[in-house]
Amino acid sequence: MYLSLSTLSCRFINMRFYFIYFSACLLFLSCADAPSVSVDEEGSEKILLALLEADSGAVIEIPEGFFAFKRSLSLDGVSGVTIKGAGMGKSILSFDNQIDGAEGLLIKADQITLEDFTIQDSKGDAIKVQDAEGIVFRRVETTWTHGANETNGGYGIYPVGCTSVLIEGCEASYAADAGIYVGQSNQVVMRDNYAHHNVAGIEIENSRNVEAYNNLAEENTGGLLIFDMPGLPQANGYNVKVYDNTVRSNNHKNFAPEGGVVSTLPPGTGMLIIAHRDVEVYNNEVTDYKTLGLGVISWYFTERPFETDNGFDPYYTNVSVHDNTFERRRAIPDITKEFGQMLNGLFIGKPQDIVIDGIFENADVHLCLKNNGEDLRFANLNAETASDLGDLKKLVDRNMDRFNCDLPSFDVTPPAL
Amino acid sequence: MMLPFRNSLLIGLVTLLVYSCQPTGQVSLYEGEPFNRLSDYHFFTGRQSALNPNTGVIPYDLITPLFSDYAEKARFVWMPQGQSAEILENGDLGFPEGAVLIKNFFYNLEAGRQLIETRLLVREAGDWTPLTYIWDEDQRDASLSITGGFAAVDVPLPDGTTHAIQYVIPNKNQCKTCHESGGKIEPIGPKVKHLNREYTYVEGSANQLAAWSDYQYISNYDQDNHTALTTAWDDPSEPLQERALAYLEVNCGTCHKADGSAYVSGLHISAESDPYQLGICKTPVSAGKGSGGFRYDINPGHPESSILVYRMKSDDPGAMMPEIGRKIMHTEGVQLISDWIASMEGSCE
Repeated sequence: MYLSLSTLSCRFINMRFYFIYFSACLLFLSCADAPSVSVDEEGSEKILLALLEADSGAVIEIPEGFFAFKRSLSLDGVSGVTIKGAGMGKSILSFDNQIDGAEGLLIKADQITLEDFTIQDSKGDAIKVQDAEGIVFRRVETTWTHGANETNGGYGIYPVGCTSVLIEGCEASYAADAGIYVGQSNQVVMRDNYAHHNVAGIEIENSRNVEAYNNLAEENTGGLLIFDMPGLPQANGYNVKVYDNTVRSNNHKNFAPEGGVVSTLPPGTGMLIIAHRDVEVYNNEVTDYKTLGLGVISWYFTERPFETDNGFDPYYTNVSVHDNTFERRRAIPDITKEFGQMLNGLFIGKPQDIVIDGIFENADVHLCLKNNGEDLRFANLNAETASDLGDLKKLVDRNMDRFNCDLPSFDVTPPAL
Repeated sequence: MMLPFRNSLLIGLVTLLVYSCQPTGQVSLYEGEPFNRLSDYHFFTGRQSALNPNTGVIPYDLITPLFSDYAEKARFVWMPQGQSAEILENGDLGFPEGAVLIKNFFYNLEAGRQLIETRLLVREAGDWTPLTYIWDEDQRDASLSITGGFAAVDVPLPDGTTHAIQYVIPNKNQCKTCHESGGKIEPIGPKVKHLNREYTYVEGSANQLAAWSDYQYISNYDQDNHTALTTAWDDPSEPLQERALAYLEVNCGTCHKADGSAYVSGLHISAESDPYQLGICKTPVSAGKGSGGFRYDINPGHPESSILVYRMKSDDPGAMMPEIGRKIMHTEGVQLISDWIASMEGSCE
């Protein structure tokens, strides 16, 4: 996105709470031929300083404009700060020329509100918020402007180790891992967000008490992921409800660098649940996927090493998927990733609606699939004893009746904001 | 038995300092807001860039230091009159109110020594305050900086060549990234195991802990008990694994520990870590492009496909490790870690 703005004058008022206010007079220049960017260097310095010197309760206002930074911005240890711009796509903080720091904006502070601005082209993650109690992302955009490249930063909106998180009305695009990623966090609401052209649109990882609703995930490699990963301080997540979301046309090429789990995600994945417990997925519209609508797998199926010393549970348990709409695309499933190749090998040329690995800890009921429409293409891979495609072909079970059940409901503790 | 000798040695040192230098007054600490100029503290006498320590300002060194773009570091400690630090159970030092750790970053260039920045950790009201002073171009003094900055330097490399970089001077918040321990700022270097070796003072050589003790900067030093000792990363006579772990602990483990800023990664690097915590056969979580396309943090026997080595080599801010404080690859450090990984047996598959 290009803006043609020229800041004529800025006034800097330093009030009691380091209330930073920029009175910026903006002049639109014509850009009939080539788009041009007017970088407000003075404004960038003021924003940097305002964040470093912010006191508790400060309101830092970012005017409309294009502000370029060579290094990360950060806010540390001051609570109750609000960073407020003039709108997504209007107050733009660009890190295209960044030479220092692993993220665009790094926040380690409590009761923080981020509103109405865009972070673009950070070399690493766009906005990382760590260990915060109380963090609101409202109408914040994160994006990379040079297309879907593996050199883009990993995460757009990235709270990790946080408690009480609200992400609403945000837009995240072109992240080489996940557009909106909530990791090892508790009491989270994600609603009314738009994630597109990322590898993973929305990802919930090792998190507890999470609600995600009214989100739109489209044109990602995978729309919405709920993962438990091994080897992390918060070993397992639970109590996750995902409902009323639209997850459509997530068939984008996977542009994640090899190595991370998302790099194995086959294009054309609607939703994927890995090794998670206490998950309810309902009233979602999952449509136009070329490979699979929903996958539910254990960590074993990833064939990646793990340890259980920290309490990590590699199985999925108490996962209920009901009353969703699944509508596959008429297309050849992905052949660029192993999982896609496997599905193509098993069901030649036929996208699947629900695929599970069938690897359970014991004979108890761990998964229910109910009222998700007629004529679903369902596959239980029964992969526990399989060592190759030939085995899988013999073991796969297309009958879903066994999973037509209900599971105990659970409550989700909301954020305390 | 050695004590009288050391005492006299240090008294000699102090006498020398008191009488040989320009009378610039005693070290003083601000009350309220930090001084704007480094010289206002009187840590150094005479020409500031000569770094001649004032009375009570004691130089020290670390056995295995953090790599900082091949910058030389001159470290000093100062404590208010009558105050001393205490060696804690875990080998850390508990510093008294008003203690200051002073670290000067400089390069020895052909044109002479170029000081870049001086970082202070000041013990105030039970916490450490990080302050950064950037040296003036004329090298006469340094000024307090909140935002940090950049300095163009032609860094002299061990092989005799130079490498041009934008040296990054950290801003206030970046100090905490590396110095964070349990949400608070803590010093990294001055611990028993890092200090426990000889230092060549003006009058001669002495163990640093003993010297601090003689100078009453440590109140409870017991040379029979306080024997913890880290391995010198660059001492080829030491075992490879110990050198590698000592290097990793200082260069990675200050963030990658249970109460450090990188704890969320689950990669916890210290000599006590189990293999998985160290990254052996551990798959990345949130590395993004930092994975370099590789699957394991450490792939035993294969430094060329270990993420750890890839990130030590990278200079992309979104992939490199450490995330801050480095612009040049530490060739010798990468070699050490590569040799160590190459020597490992076993497989992740």
